Amino acid sequence: MVLRVFRWSPGSRERLQKYWVKARHGMTVLDALVELQRNSDATLAFRYACRVGMCGSCAMVVNGRERWACRTLLSNLARGPVTVRPLYQFPLIRDLVVDMAPMKNKMLEMKAVFVPGRRAMAGDEFAQIGSRSRERRAIDAAIECIGCGMCVSACTMVGHDPRFPGPAALTRVFTLQRDSRDGAHAGRSLAVLAEDVLTRCHGQANCTAVCPMEISPTDSILALRRRAVLRLLGIGPR
Amino acid sequence: MLTRRMGSAEAWRDTKVGMWAWLLQRVAAVGLVAVIAAHLKNPFARPVQAALLALVLFHGLLGVRAILLDFGLPVRWHRLLFLLALLVGVVAFAAFWRWRWY
Repeated sequence: MVLRVFRWSPGSRERLQKYWVKARHGMTVLDALVELQRNSDATLAFRYACRVGMCGSCAMVVNGRERWACRTLLSNLARGPVTVRPLYQFPLIRDLVVDMAPMKNKMLEMKAVFVPGRRAMAGDEFAQIGSRSRERRAIDAAIECIGCGMCVSACTMVGHDPRFPGPAALTRVFTLQRDSRDGAHAGRSLAVLAEDVLTRCHGQANCTAVCPMEISPTDSILALRRRAVLRLLGIGPR
Repeated sequence: MLTRRMGSAEAWRDTKVGMWAWLLQRVAAVGLVAVIAAHLKNPFARPVQAALLALVLFHGLLGVRAILLDFGLPVRWHRLLFLLALLVGVVAFAAFWRWRWY
């Protein structure tokens, strides 16, 4: 099988390098990359950790779609050469490795950090939200985000408007705005009302289509948007 | 930083349904501007009438899809809504054209 792997390092030209890999039964894209690195080209750089579809660090663009390399079987891909690129919309570090810091920075810009409020404590204990409560079920899926960055890479708006926070940051904001223990709802509400935030999402749902955790950032953004409208009308929660 | 180069075939290789729905609605809007201008010049030209009807239905129904999602219909239904919009558009076009309801 032919793999066309994106190569770049500081000072060099971007290119797709061809490699030949003997595809075995059950072989994933990550297996193929590891084999190449061990046997053919030790300079090939890529990131991975758990290898079992939990951490999200092997997120890449394989044949034009964001996927985690460790869960993508070569046999499930279309016939022909397999193209492997790094995630889009992130600064390149080298080859398939990108800098994830901008995603974290967008979260900080959106104040997507838990700030304990008055209801954060129940006596001496940290207040709990029951797993079957309505409040918890509303964010059940969204809190599973592993921060892999695939949604950010797939989002056309992130590429178009650098000020748009992106689906990952807004999903995090959504979970915090629905958390009754958090004490920073008002400030966060103001942050998401800025010009290039909620109104910028076009609802194409590319982020939802590629999320490996089957989260729907589009749902989170639309829910935040409805909440913002109600707040502007003076009939919704802060 | 890498961005999708929309001029390349690879960038379009995995275009998703939601993206097509959004894109086609915009293309229909641009098409409407041209067709409305042609329609104002000669309201009786049948091909222009047909194009106007098709584009209005297409653009409007995809807009209804977006509104329904905005108002809280789960995003997991968006593919179904896209297909429904296309289907209703085709049926409505055929009915309008066949029975001259315009």
